[in-house]
Amino acid sequence: MDVLNNLITGFSVALTLQNLLYCFIGCMVGTLIGVLPGIGPVATIAMLLPLTFKLPPEAALIMLAGIYYGAQYGGSTTAILVNLPGEASSVVTALDGYKMAQKGRAGAALSISAIGSFFAGTVGTLLIVMFAKPLTEMAQKFGPAEYCSLMALGLVAAIVLASGSVIKAIAMVFLGLMIGLIGTDVNTGAQRFTFNIPELSDGIDFAPIAMGLFGIAEIIANLEKRITRDVGETKITSLWPTREEFRQSWPAALRGTALGSVLGVLPGGGPTLGAFSAYTLEKKLSKTPQQFGQGAPAGVAAPEAANNAAAQTSFIPMLTLGIPSNAVMALMVGAMIIQGIQPGPEVMTKKPELFWGMIASMWVGNLMLVIINLPLIGIWVKLLTVPYRFLYPSILLFCCIGAYSLQNSTFHVLMVAIFGVLGYVFLKLGCEGAPFLLGLVLGPQMEEYFRRAMLLSRGDPTVFVTRPLSAGLLAVTAVLLILMALPAMQRKRQEAFQEEG
Amino acid sequence: MNRFLSKDFLAGLMFLGFGGVAYVAAFTDLSRFFGQSRLALGTAVRMGPGYVPQMLAFIMMALGAIIALRAAVASGEPIESGKWKPIVMITLGVVAFGVLLDPANVPAIVSWVVSGVPRWENPVSGLLPALVAMVFLAALGGDEFKLTETIAMCAVLFIICYVIFKWGLSMNIAMLQGVW
Repeated sequence: MDVLNNLITGFSVALTLQNLLYCFIGCMVGTLIGVLPGIGPVATIAMLLPLTFKLPPEAALIMLAGIYYGAQYGGSTTAILVNLPGEASSVVTALDGYKMAQKGRAGAALSISAIGSFFAGTVGTLLIVMFAKPLTEMAQKFGPAEYCSLMALGLVAAIVLASGSVIKAIAMVFLGLMIGLIGTDVNTGAQRFTFNIPELSDGIDFAPIAMGLFGIAEIIANLEKRITRDVGETKITSLWPTREEFRQSWPAALRGTALGSVLGVLPGGGPTLGAFSAYTLEKKLSKTPQQFGQGAPAGVAAPEAANNAAAQTSFIPMLTLGIPSNAVMALMVGAMIIQGIQPGPEVMTKKPELFWGMIASMWVGNLMLVIINLPLIGIWVKLLTVPYRFLYPSILLFCCIGAYSLQNSTFHVLMVAIFGVLGYVFLKLGCEGAPFLLGLVLGPQMEEYFRRAMLLSRGDPTVFVTRPLSAGLLAVTAVLLILMALPAMQRKRQEAFQEEG
Repeated sequence: MNRFLSKDFLAGLMFLGFGGVAYVAAFTDLSRFFGQSRLALGTAVRMGPGYVPQMLAFIMMALGAIIALRAAVASGEPIESGKWKPIVMITLGVVAFGVLLDPANVPAIVSWVVSGVPRWENPVSGLLPALVAMVFLAALGGDEFKLTETIAMCAVLFIICYVIFKWGLSMNIAMLQGVW
């Protein structure tokens, strides 16, 4: 009954006119950036973050969440219709979705993707509702030592599941932690790495950093590559899948949902990994694997369900433990802090209307996306014909204004420029931005917990291994690290990511 | 020679550099050159402000060294050459936007370069000049620059910004310093 009550609380918040409006705006903006390649949810959320200052916390978080899962929908629409995945998570959808479209089954592919996504979104929302309470209760037993270990586990897992070089990702986490230390030390008031710049004494806001790393650097890289886009004409005849298509896709959507849900909870997992794994799984399970890549409905249903399920469940660690599992969640943590809410297990008990309202709004948002998007497909595809040379100055401008409006200070605009250059260097050196951002957001908290744990244990570092929960978390962390170091595992991991790419 | 231009080797150097600068800036006698006072380490029980940063600086340097050494032994992926135009023009565009938005910025920069300049306010500042400068610099960073198109883009973007930020969100931002 408890769950039901909570859901009622949630829906009573989510269904107010104001929150419905912000949910709608979020979903629309999300779909828009999902459709457009060259700008992702991380940069967009960073850009819009300052605008959410004046909103009530519920509305702000509902809108930002809408951007995130809206982007998953938008990305798949263009993947199917014009073979241009707007987001990394819909790259696999393009394989079979576009083939279906070429065979004249574009409408069916879109419906399969929309229905699969909606189903997965519903399941994902239910999972959050079910797991929120037990996880929160567990987290309330955590002391500083456990928190510290949990964050270490989160950061390491995020690295293991991300593609690319492990050791470079670890170094990026540490770099993020270090940049996170810039500012005034909370315990002593000492200025750390502020280099006599007064603006730095409050620390560097992570929004300009995210804009620089994920927005500006991306634009520069795109300009070097020169994006060429040929938008072919795809006619949508019927939106209804045939019985055969439906028969093939529903089990795939179910499996995709399950796999995506699990991978979404894991740090570093998220929609992209979910979609890739679900596609691979379907291909392995299928009796007719040769059909994959030739327009198999299961090849659309599985990754679409998986990326949406993962987008939903990646909120679980953030909402219950205050630990972000990917770059978008790191920004959501930041959005909460801006609103004066300390993310963590207390959010559920202290701010039930925010907590449940946000969860309920995700379901509402998913429903909105299905209803609104199918009739709007024509418009979204039209948008793709806008050349990139019109798009990037606009993105740049909104980044700049967003950064300025953080504190009405041009210092933040210069920060965007600096981190844009740094992000470009990271790209050139093959260093990923996501681990950096996670380290940056978790850094100050982690130091705080570390210092508190050491103070409580009177300077005895064994506290991290003598407390059973903390020891368990650290053991898992160690196992992950050792696994990564084994040559056999390294090869396996490379193969897995090869298959993805 | 080529192995020293690999992505991994340079990345290692970068991490080594970040760790090294952090260490030198906060824990050596050279710290005053960085406008930074030396951070006290404290003890494990009562950690000073420098305890965790020093730990991180050491770890960064170690990781950087390992990455660079591994890359120097086994030759890795070479670094791709970039183009100068996008990176320079986009960065300049963002910087120009920041500088032109606030009437105090240009005078501040001038007074750094030429000392003894009387205080003044830059009349050509505000959203309009900042936007125009940024859009033009950004457009010049791309491959296809068309003058009329860029002017049109400035106009459209300015109207959008005015409607959203000034009119919609009533942000406190001048369009043109002292005029609007």
